[in-house]
Amino acid sequence: MSPELTALTLAALLQALQFALFAIPANRELGPGYTMSARDRDPSRPLSDKAARLQRALNNHFEGLILFTIACVAITLADKSNALTAACAFTYLGARTLYVPAYYYGLNPWRSLIWAVGFLATLLMLLAAIL
Amino acid sequence: MLHSEPHLLAIYALLVAVTIVVQVGAAAMTVGLPYLSSPRDAQKPLGTVPERLRRTVDNSVTALALVAPAVLLIEIGGVAIPQTVLAMQIFVAARIAFAVLYPLGIPYARTAVWAAGFLATLFLYLIALTAPLR
Repeated sequence: MSPELTALTLAALLQALQFALFAIPANRELGPGYTMSARDRDPSRPLSDKAARLQRALNNHFEGLILFTIACVAITLADKSNALTAACAFTYLGARTLYVPAYYYGLNPWRSLIWAVGFLATLLMLLAAIL
Repeated sequence: MLHSEPHLLAIYALLVAVTIVVQVGAAAMTVGLPYLSSPRDAQKPLGTVPERLRRTVDNSVTALALVAPAVLLIEIGGVAIPQTVLAMQIFVAARIAFAVLYPLGIPYARTAVWAAGFLATLFLYLIALTAPLR
């Protein structure tokens, strides 16, 4: 397995962890009666700010993960894996891990800067794959 | 360079990344970077064009997530044919047109190019799934 695919698998596990980190407070706040319903209406009480931040962090990582998946797979299929692309892959993983507490604690502007690090790492990998 | 499906996929992923940068830039001009880098606990409307760009990004990410497995299936299965490359070229062209038409607010044509990209994706799955029968 290429280092990029290892980082990708760990990033997917991070996403599973983020899902749990969000789902647990969301169920405690809204109650399983609401979360297991068809959710046709908004909940009577909105999520707390902290739980809503965890939800936005989760949704943001879906977006990042799709681009990162293509970067990792394209690099691996094209046999373009090298020290730089491996470093980028683990930089992405580190940035996305730090992104969760940065969002939860509302660290401004650190959350955006951490997001940008992960985004740039993905961009470099995509460029390395096509050049 | 534009004649392999994974290559075209990586190019489209880069274009989606560029769309995200444009969206953030447009939103920064209306609501400002301090709001964007805050935790955004109270949601602010971004304004017409940045909101269109946000929906463009959402739609592009969905299209990317849907087309990527088809390209992988074709590549790993070794079932690429000239038509699958053509379908991927049509997909990328249609999605570029989509990302231009949506922020400009041009109706019908936007839906038409969305459909072209979607049909190209369906065609790739059709080839990936029927390849073992050929």
